[in-house]
Amino acid sequence: MKQKIIIISALALLLLLIIFMVKDFFFNNPGNTNPYQFELDNIRKGDSAKAVFAETQQIKTSLEEIHGIATDTSGKIYVSGKDSVAIFDAKGKTVNKFRIAGTAQCIAVSENGKIFLGIQDHIEIWNNRGEQLAKWASLGTDAVLTSIAVKGENIFIADAGQKVVYRCHIKGYLLGKIGLKDPATGVPGFIIPSPYFDLGISKDGNLWVVNPGRHSFEKYKFNGTLLSSWGKASMATEGFCGCCNPSNFAFINDSLFVTSEKAIERVKIYSADGTFLCVVATPDQFESGTKGLDLAVDKQNRILVLDPVKKMIRIFEPKK
Amino acid sequence: MKKTLALVFLVFLFTIQFMNSYGIQRFPKPEFESGYVQPETLLPNPRAEVLAILDIAVLIISLSVVSWLVIKKRNRNGVFWMSLFALAYFGFYREGCVCAIGSIQNVTLAIFDKSYLIPISAIIFFVAPLVYTLFFGRTFCAAVCPFGAMQDLVAFSPQKLGSRLNAVLGVIPYIYLGLAVIYAATGTDFIICRYDPFVGIWRFNASFGIFVFGGILLVIGIFIARPYCRFLCPYGVLLNWASRFSRKHITITPAECIQCRLCENSCPYDAIDIPVTTKNPESKGTMARKLIFITFLIPVLMLAGGWVGSKLNEPLASANAKVRLAKQILNPVTEKNQAETFEIQAFKSAGKQQRQAFAEASEVLHKFYIGSWILGGFIGLVFGSLIAGRMITKHQTDYTPNKGTCFSCVRCVDYCPVKLPLITK
Repeated sequence: MKQKIIIISALALLLLLIIFMVKDFFFNNPGNTNPYQFELDNIRKGDSAKAVFAETQQIKTSLEEIHGIATDTSGKIYVSGKDSVAIFDAKGKTVNKFRIAGTAQCIAVSENGKIFLGIQDHIEIWNNRGEQLAKWASLGTDAVLTSIAVKGENIFIADAGQKVVYRCHIKGYLLGKIGLKDPATGVPGFIIPSPYFDLGISKDGNLWVVNPGRHSFEKYKFNGTLLSSWGKASMATEGFCGCCNPSNFAFINDSLFVTSEKAIERVKIYSADGTFLCVVATPDQFESGTKGLDLAVDKQNRILVLDPVKKMIRIFEPKK
Repeated sequence: MKKTLALVFLVFLFTIQFMNSYGIQRFPKPEFESGYVQPETLLPNPRAEVLAILDIAVLIISLSVVSWLVIKKRNRNGVFWMSLFALAYFGFYREGCVCAIGSIQNVTLAIFDKSYLIPISAIIFFVAPLVYTLFFGRTFCAAVCPFGAMQDLVAFSPQKLGSRLNAVLGVIPYIYLGLAVIYAATGTDFIICRYDPFVGIWRFNASFGIFVFGGILLVIGIFIARPYCRFLCPYGVLLNWASRFSRKHITITPAECIQCRLCENSCPYDAIDIPVTTKNPESKGTMARKLIFITFLIPVLMLAGGWVGSKLNEPLASANAKVRLAKQILNPVTEKNQAETFEIQAFKSAGKQQRQAFAEASEVLHKFYIGSWILGGFIGLVFGSLIAGRMITKHQTDYTPNKGTCFSCVRCVDYCPVKLPLITK
């Protein structure tokens, strides 16, 4: 009896192996799968549980393309894009919309309400009535301006094409270059594989620049002295994924960082020292392949995410 | 002692393997907190020509030594140690390639595809064991084939299957051989290599699926000795045929069988033919009727098999990349977020026309149509022969190894009380 059981079990296993061979050979179609595909599905799923924000409002922009978002002290929302700039109030009602020549990849609004636009290789200054106040000279044929920050008389411009940050006077003349590789001062240089290169000025008056190829934030004095940096490359939620992330950031509660990434489209919050705090928006909330989720925070501490695929401003607030 | 040695070796081997099978081919690469730097991928250098000659020399010497140990010395210990050597050299050192079993495909492809240049080592690995088998029986299986050696190590508790079960399961290698030939001849795939259960283990890089496949086969091998050799190995079919005509084959007794029956259960592979003596021999009329029936049955089965095979030519051909591509172009089935399959993308980027893809697929289908007829006919012949074998009663008076299925492992010899020195005295 025991011998029979052993033989039957062994033969069943043998049959199983043959079934495995037949199934694997005839019914596993390798043509439909790319063996080298970067499989992100599991990583995407992991983010959802950590989301503590909810999407509370969406504002359609009616622009053909949208690239940059900013807010002012009164709570207005500014969106720049192809040939146009649109201004909304906090509830999403259009306040003004005016035409510009070219595509404004980035936008900033000064304390006195001037609108700074980065259009390919140069800066233009407009007021909120749609009048051009100034147009600066080109920063070079290779310039690709991706971010602007204004503080007092200083304007900082991120140039992804030439991998440098310009510090300019508000009147338009150059005060210095920040972030050029310099082993003597420990400046590592910016690694920018794709045209996503953001910067911002923190409440304590320091310049923060994303070094996307290093998956890090670098803190500089206005004179270009590197003070510190933080960041971690990781596919996990706690880090920054892919070749070059984060793509954009903004400050919330004065010192916390709101970050956005491409490849795994997610928005997260970090403390000032780079400790991961929480997830704002998860990959499943965006179309796969969405890039350039520009960020802004309004005076109500709402997080404004510019979704260039859906062409809308998506507003996130803490879950109640 | 041998069993303990084998057990320790296998536990060690599988412990390493189990870790390896989880630790390879991960994409994206794992991230480490410790600062560990990922090593660069190393590509093996092509095997030096002199080493290929060494392999051939080792094969020939091994075949000669084992044949001498089996036929002349009748020495089980020698055969056992030679099998360990084969496992070490052809298995772990040579990493199982080119092996005689897989060389069937190289030879087939060389016959059907003139652009394929077959390595001389592949030809010799295919021919040499067959030639030795024609002279000395399956001494290659005894202790030169690393597949056999690997399974022999785990045959701790072999059970008898009975002749009927052995005969039915014994058909599988013929089907496997037929499929391997058809897929190699059409340039579709080398299925023997694809489902090689042990090469991944010898190379310490088995994928998890194949590691489990090989592991299960070894577990089966504890109770059903050499399951791959007996019920899967396609090269075993050729060796079986060759061995039936072998000039000198191992015998259980060196002299006359004394019918002591001590060897009756000695063979773990059920390869001993026991004496068959019938009290009432069949009449000539019955025998003639059986003969007529078999003569009629075999062609019918071959034709039926061929016809069924020809109907299966499209499913069989679906494994061919050209046929699969043409099917995908006709019926695009895509994954989520994917506009078209990976294969169609590659085809388009090569700048080829759809018409060309269909023409190539049609040519392959035609080859499969002919191949399927032959394959079906071959399987019909195998079944016909099996039925004929069961119908015809073979009369024999002594315990003898079955020349087709005996692996010449020399185990049975030790059970025989008739020893050669006594006879010579």
